Amino acid sequence: MIERLAPEVVNGIVLGSFYAIVAIGLSLIMNLTGTINLAHGSFMTLAGYLAFAIMSRGGSFWVALGGAALLTMVVGVAVERLFIARLYKRIPLYSLLLTFGLSLIAEESFRLIWGPSSVPFAVPTNLQGSTALGNIVLPTYRLVIMGALVIVITALLLFLYRTRLGLRLRGAVQDPDMMAALGTNTRVLYTVNFAVGVLLAAIAGIFAAGLLGLQPTMGNSLLMPAFITVVIGGMGSLIGSIVGGLLIGLTVSITTLYLPAASEIVMYVLMAVVLLVRPRGLFGEAGIFG
Amino acid sequence: MPDEPLLRLDGVDAFYGKSHALRGVSLEVHAGEIVALLGLNGAGKTTTLRTIMGLLPPRAGTIRLRGRRIDGMPAHRVARLGVGYVPEGRRMFANLTAGENLELAERPGGEWSIQRVFERFPKLRELRGRKAGKLSGGEQEMLAIGRALVGSPALLLIDEPSQGLGPIIVTDVYRTLAELRAGGVAILLVEQNALLALRVAERAYVLDDGRVVYAGAGADLARDRARIGTLMGLPSDELPVS
Repeated sequence: MIERLAPEVVNGIVLGSFYAIVAIGLSLIMNLTGTINLAHGSFMTLAGYLAFAIMSRGGSFWVALGGAALLTMVVGVAVERLFIARLYKRIPLYSLLLTFGLSLIAEESFRLIWGPSSVPFAVPTNLQGSTALGNIVLPTYRLVIMGALVIVITALLLFLYRTRLGLRLRGAVQDPDMMAALGTNTRVLYTVNFAVGVLLAAIAGIFAAGLLGLQPTMGNSLLMPAFITVVIGGMGSLIGSIVGGLLIGLTVSITTLYLPAASEIVMYVLMAVVLLVRPRGLFGEAGIFG
Repeated sequence: MPDEPLLRLDGVDAFYGKSHALRGVSLEVHAGEIVALLGLNGAGKTTTLRTIMGLLPPRAGTIRLRGRRIDGMPAHRVARLGVGYVPEGRRMFANLTAGENLELAERPGGEWSIQRVFERFPKLRELRGRKAGKLSGGEQEMLAIGRALVGSPALLLIDEPSQGLGPIIVTDVYRTLAELRAGGVAILLVEQNALLALRVAERAYVLDDGRVVYAGAGADLARDRARIGTLMGLPSDELPVS
C-alpha cells in the first residue's frame, strides 16, 4: 500500500510545487500591477527551449539552468518595459489581451524554431534512475526537483522579508503612490517584481521540461492549474499559493491512482468546493506579503 | 527674506479628470517657516499638496523648489530633492511594522537617520515591532511624520495632522511641528481647523474653489475671526474654538 502510494504522493508534491511556483509568480505580478499575465506559461516554455539550446551546444544541465533562467529574465524585463508597462494605468483587460497575444506569438515562434513535437530534453544521467528511501523507491529527478523548488521558495521569502528591495515591494503592493512620495522609483520596482515572477516561471519551466517533455505548449499546460492554484489559495497570498499548489498536486495524483478517469476534472471540483465554502480562497484575506 | 523662496507655485492649474481642482494657485514657502493652507473641504488643499508632490501633474503653471522646476517630475524625484509628505489619513503601510515603515523611506547618509527619529519620538522605538495598522491615531501621526523625516526633507507637506486625534495629542503634534521648524524644516500645513494652524503659522493662504482668496500673515488672520469666517464660508460664531 505505502509502496504504491508513496510515489504518487511524491508525484503530487512535485506537481504541486510547480503549480505553487508558477502561481506565486502570477500572484506577485497581479498584486503589484494588476496585470494578469497570460504570457507566464510562455516564459516557462522559453526557458525550457533556451536550456535545451545551451545543453545541445555542450553546456551541462546546471549551466543550462542558470543561463536559460537569466536569459529568460532578460527577455521578461524587455517585454515588461516595452509593452506591459505602457498599460499599467489602464484597466487589467488591456494587459490581459496583450499578454494573451504575446503567448500566441510565443507559441507559434517555438513551433517555427524548434518544431511542433517534443524535443529530446535529457536530464543528466546522475539525476535519472531512482533512489531508495528505506523500502520506498522514488525517482531521483523528482526528489531533485522537490529540493530545488524548496530552495527557490526559501530564497524568494528571504528576498521579500530580509532585503530593502523586498521591503519596498511589500510596501508598494499596499500603496504605490505613497512609496513614490517617499522617494522610491516605483517603475523600477514594477520591473524588478516582474523579473522575479519570470525568474520563478523560468526555473519551473526548465525543471518541468525534464519531467513532462518539452513542446511548444508545455508552459501553457501548467498555466491553467497555476491560475486555479491562485484562486484556491486566495488572491494575493503567498502561503495560499504554496498550500493551494500542493493541495491540487496531491489531489490530482492520488485521484490518478484510484480513479484515473476523474484526474483531469478533480482540480476544478476542488476549486468549486473551495469557492463555495470560502469565496476568497483559503488564505484570501491576508495580503500577499502580510 | 531671501530672494528665492524654498517653494514657489506660480499660476498652477490642476484637474481631476474634467473637474478643475486648482485655478491659478500661487504661493510661497520660505526656508524655516510654517505656512498654513486653509479652506473648506474640497477647496483644493489636498490637491495642492499632491500637485507639489508630483502625484498629480499640473496642467499649467510652474512649481519651483529652490528655484528649480519640479512640476511634471515624478513623485520619487520630488521626494529625493527634499520634499517630505505626511498625507491625509496618514496612509500607513498597515501590514508592515512601524520600524519597516521607517526603513522603506530611509535615505542612508541623510540628516535624519532612523536612530534620530527614535530619539525624537522615543515612543516609536518601543512600537517599532508593531504592525502600523495596530497603532493609535496619535502614534500613526508620529510615525507618518517620522517616515517623512527619514528622507531628510527641507520641506514637509503635512495634510490634516489633527484629524481624528484628541486635543492632548493634537497639542503634542503641533509642538513637534514647531520644534521641527526650529530645527530648520519648512512646513506647508493643511488644516481644516484654521485657528489651530494659525497658532503656529507665520503666514497663511486660504483657498476657495481652487483659488487663493487670501494670502497674508498668520497672526493678522488669526486676530480677524470675522475675516476667517467670511473666507471660509462660515459665520464667525461657528468657528471651531481652539
